[in-house]
Amino acid sequence: MHIADGILSAPVLAAGFGGTAILAAVTMRKMDHEEIPKVSVMSALFFVVNLIHIPIGPTSIHFIMNGLVGVILGKKAFPAIMLGVILQAFLFGFGGVTVIGVNCVMLGGGALAAYFIWQLRHRFLLGDRLEMIFGALAGVTGIFVSGVILALALFLTGEEFLATAGYALTAHIPALIIEAIVVGACASFLKKTKPDLLSGQVRKRILKTS
Amino acid sequence: MSLEIDRFSHIESSVQRWDPRIKILSLGFFIFVVAILKTIPVAVISLLIAIIIIKITNIPFHFVANSIKVIVLFLAPFFLLLPFSYPGEAAFHLIGLPFAWEGLRLAILIFTKAVTIVLTTNAIFGSSRFDISMIALQSLKCPKLLVQMILFTYRYIFVFIDEVKRMEKAMRSKGFVMKANMNTLRTMGNFVGTLLIRSFERTERVYSAMVSKGYQGELHTLVTFEAQGKDFVKAGLIAILTIAVFVTDMINIFHPAIKGWY
Repeated sequence: MHIADGILSAPVLAAGFGGTAILAAVTMRKMDHEEIPKVSVMSALFFVVNLIHIPIGPTSIHFIMNGLVGVILGKKAFPAIMLGVILQAFLFGFGGVTVIGVNCVMLGGGALAAYFIWQLRHRFLLGDRLEMIFGALAGVTGIFVSGVILALALFLTGEEFLATAGYALTAHIPALIIEAIVVGACASFLKKTKPDLLSGQVRKRILKTS
Repeated sequence: MSLEIDRFSHIESSVQRWDPRIKILSLGFFIFVVAILKTIPVAVISLLIAIIIIKITNIPFHFVANSIKVIVLFLAPFFLLLPFSYPGEAAFHLIGLPFAWEGLRLAILIFTKAVTIVLTTNAIFGSSRFDISMIALQSLKCPKLLVQMILFTYRYIFVFIDEVKRMEKAMRSKGFVMKANMNTLRTMGNFVGTLLIRSFERTERVYSAMVSKGYQGELHTLVTFEAQGKDFVKAGLIAILTIAVFVTDMINIFHPAIKGWY
């Protein structure tokens, strides 16, 4: 899910860059140099899984995985997505240079929303399936929120894009389902094999009492 | 799809010899102006400018064609959607659907601008080594942290792709076939998880190796840039062209593709 060059109007493009600058400043404020490699790995993952296509009937769709980036990096997901988007624009115009801002807000915003949903898992006791269910919800949230931002950007550009926005939203329903299953499976796999990779492991309440 | 954007940066041409900092600034300015054009003839003129720039760089066409293919696939739906969904009066009806010329015009405008921008991006980043482009960005006051992370990620992408290929081969040799079913998707989830664990472990090793060799979060380089008169002449040329394109678009010699867009 990216928006290409030359569609959006200048105010929307400017708003995208403004929003990206603010979100990047907030999310990168307390970043250590030690975190650079972890963030870069997730950027590379985001970049590469965008190239994996799954056949669905006559067409194929590709992974977006911004929800998974949110699940693993937490707030640092925003810079990770931003790097991925920048490289996609630089290397093969997937998206585009002028829409880097809008794409970052769209996909990175989805990742942050996914992280928020992922954190809600601490309020539930679902046993073994907890990570799978909330991973799936995070995957859905990532794409859904990005889809809404995409539709909003198109709508703000002009009402002639209203139908396109609707099409973009419906076209992502299969991606939504696929992503939910894959992110859910991945989260529960990581919980079993290397749980410290997942973000937001420790409950704050426990930290306070100890 | 080739990700090595700088594969043809060794070819000699006046774009390749251009100081990367000035190249990024002036062609970047051109790109942003193209993005806000409103009339098709002006967009076509800027497309011609972009084609000429690519011609000068001597980057082979098949290399550029890859990125154009992505754009075409991406924008194809617009040609189907916009003419039939443009608000206002329809010119005629096609199989019962209202067809508006304005919508088609808008789709053509979007397509022309997108191809122009992709070509120019290829000219910017295809004409110097990627690390040098990034160092140029750093000397243009891009945040250091950001530039380093871009370089790290660029490096990891190739490592990642190799890893993906290796793991895919292992899965295929064990009889895995990609299908549209639950099992495939769950396997994909585990695949991504394994990929992550392997990559993180590798990264940690690489990072400790870097730290033990004195890495302190700063990029030191022997590359120095020196802008000469020629570089500024090229920049001036692009600036004049860009402003000319912008002014022609603004004074509306041609019929704008969309009325009341702004």
